[in-house]
Amino acid sequence: MNLTSDPGLDTILELKKVHSYIGQYHILQDVDFVVPRGSITTLLGRNGAGKTTTLKSILNNATVREGKILFNGKEIQGLPPYEIAQMGIGFVPEHRAIFRALTVEENLRIAERKKGDLEKKRDLIFELFPDLKRFLHLRGTELSGGQQQMLAIARAMVPDNELMLIDEPSEGLAPVVIEQLIEVIAELSKTSTVILVEQNFLVASKLARYFVIIEEGKSVDYGMMADLEQDKEKIHRYLGAA
Amino acid sequence: MKLKRNLTPLAVLAGIFLFVFMAARGMEPKDLLITTLRGFSVGSVTFLVAAGFSLIFGLLDVLNLAQGTLYMIGAYVGWTVYVRPDTFVDIMPMILFLMAGFALRFLWDALSDRLNWSPKTTKIVGWLLVIVAIALGLFIVPRYPIAGWELDNYAQSPISYSFMVEQGTRLPAIHLGFEEIPAPVAVIGLLLISSLLSFGLALIRKKANQQHELSLKKWWTFIVLMVLGLFFLLFNTILTNILFSMSSNWLFLIAVIMAVLSGLGLGALMETTLIQPLYSRPIYQLMLTLGMSTIGVQLVRAIWGMPEFVLSKPALFRGTGGACPATNLADLIEYNCTTVMVLGGRVRVYDEIFLPIVGIIVLVVVWVLLKKSRIGMIIRAGVQDSSMVEMLGINVRRVFTLVFALGAGLAALGGVLAAPSNGLSTGMGEKLLLNALIALAVGGLTSYPGAALGSLLVGLIQQFMIKYGQIGIPIPFTDTLFKPSPAIVPASTMLLMVIVLLILPHGLLGKQE
Repeated sequence: MNLTSDPGLDTILELKKVHSYIGQYHILQDVDFVVPRGSITTLLGRNGAGKTTTLKSILNNATVREGKILFNGKEIQGLPPYEIAQMGIGFVPEHRAIFRALTVEENLRIAERKKGDLEKKRDLIFELFPDLKRFLHLRGTELSGGQQQMLAIARAMVPDNELMLIDEPSEGLAPVVIEQLIEVIAELSKTSTVILVEQNFLVASKLARYFVIIEEGKSVDYGMMADLEQDKEKIHRYLGAA
Repeated sequence: MKLKRNLTPLAVLAGIFLFVFMAARGMEPKDLLITTLRGFSVGSVTFLVAAGFSLIFGLLDVLNLAQGTLYMIGAYVGWTVYVRPDTFVDIMPMILFLMAGFALRFLWDALSDRLNWSPKTTKIVGWLLVIVAIALGLFIVPRYPIAGWELDNYAQSPISYSFMVEQGTRLPAIHLGFEEIPAPVAVIGLLLISSLLSFGLALIRKKANQQHELSLKKWWTFIVLMVLGLFFLLFNTILTNILFSMSSNWLFLIAVIMAVLSGLGLGALMETTLIQPLYSRPIYQLMLTLGMSTIGVQLVRAIWGMPEFVLSKPALFRGTGGACPATNLADLIEYNCTTVMVLGGRVRVYDEIFLPIVGIIVLVVVWVLLKKSRIGMIIRAGVQDSSMVEMLGINVRRVFTLVFALGAGLAALGGVLAAPSNGLSTGMGEKLLLNALIALAVGGLTSYPGAALGSLLVGLIQQFMIKYGQIGIPIPFTDTLFKPSPAIVPASTMLLMVIVLLILPHGLLGKQE
């Protein structure tokens, strides 16, 4: 299959034949796709296909042994995770990873890359997440699941990130909260490119412009989300359900 | 819910205190006061080791069994600076030049990225460089002129040096020059040793696909270390004379600072060279720290000798003339008394007042550091999930090194401060390590306030047991007196640990995961 992009397309991130390992397990076995700048790309695939590992490989949290990852044209594979993040990549992990011992404010402040990042973004963050403003001095664990998810997204927004990696944001959330989440991610994508891993196909199809399908550690398909939505047979083959 | 969770530890604490004070009924007030103060004193020294232990364990998941040895090394380094400033000034350039070579690590890392050798060749060359560096070290280091002491010669042993300082006399400083090798050869040789060593290690550790940035900022460490090293080398005589004419108070302060710096440096060195490659293998790490602690003890024996010796208190705590022992604050300040009279009992100022104060200051400073600073925030977050912290763009490895160094530095501070009251011996570390481990188990392994509480309890129980050995415990509701033998003292803290852990498996303040 041909995964090369349209040459005119402005790409922010490019994975070239990436093989990566978690421990000794060979999880990604040839993942190859490009992410166009300024829109949402969603990674689709069954559980255990390697979507989360793909995000972790970008941040070198999973060991990339072969292949190249280019961010803004620069090779980043093998750099320490903090240097990759400092280039302008934000990460919202699966299960949120809110710091329990820190207050909501500290959870935001720790994400600052230079002093004053939080002050600059304060208004924007509290406009999007009015709840967080009220709970600023609570511990991270005292928030509800939805609020924790919002906090995890807000945390990634504190520094200026060109690219956001968001892993399973709707997992375990109530439908009302998911609605809110969709709005937030849509708002977010106005200022930065987003790579979204999402099990909920409806959420993915509402948000994403491009898709990449990952199966058994390989990227098997790539294209416009609008085309995929028409192709019920393909959805069924790769994702099991619509 | 919250109250119920906190009730058990409170009940256990109350039980311990009730037991101690029931037994203390027969005690005179002055004995009670002095024993309590001694408990605080032992507790605060234990705390300095235990606090480092708990910080390191909390963030890095490393049980640093070398903590006791670092405590001992702190004491011996402090002794050297305090009693033999000439040796200290001689040795500084050597250490600084070696460190300067290691400060170039970023250069070697970047260079190793750019070499396209096969993995096997890389490893072999790496090990060869390490061997060459060690051989070079064996040639240069013994020929580097350092005024020291002959362990076989009684007149020059650490014991006689401490005795002279105690008497207020001091042998004149020994000024040595470069004779066997010229100074430039020594300096370049030392730089070469550490450069080869760190290049070799970079090659051994090289992973496929790694990249290191070359940044100019990192040169600064190297330049600062070189300048400092040259400063100590060129102004050796002047610096030695200044230190020799200094009052013992200032010299003691310098000794404490140098001891802490040596702890910080050793901690950083241990973490970056030995602990880091083993983060995914906790058992090996444990064996490694255990091995390091034994190697440390043997090194100290080889350098300073086996016998126990002392570090005399600085003049500020040594006065005996005039109105000593002081009965009021004015006399204490005027005559710098060793002891003060409180409730008719003699309280030693350094041991029973100064040490607890230092313990409390360190407790508060580290607490504020953890709660208020950005580093503290990163530590608290990293305890839970260090890889998430790193993916936020924070160099968490550097924070690991810093915390390890801080823990080692606190242990060294404990050692140098305990030296004037307990003396120096090669067994001092082991005893304290055991105390600190018990204190941590009692207080809760990763809880910082738990380390303080556990240390205090260990100190109090030990001191009360020692006192009871002299006066006897009135067993409640009977007239018989029970006198614990000295052997029961260490056993009593163990018993405390067993009781606390049976009721609260996570210690008094530890959190259940």
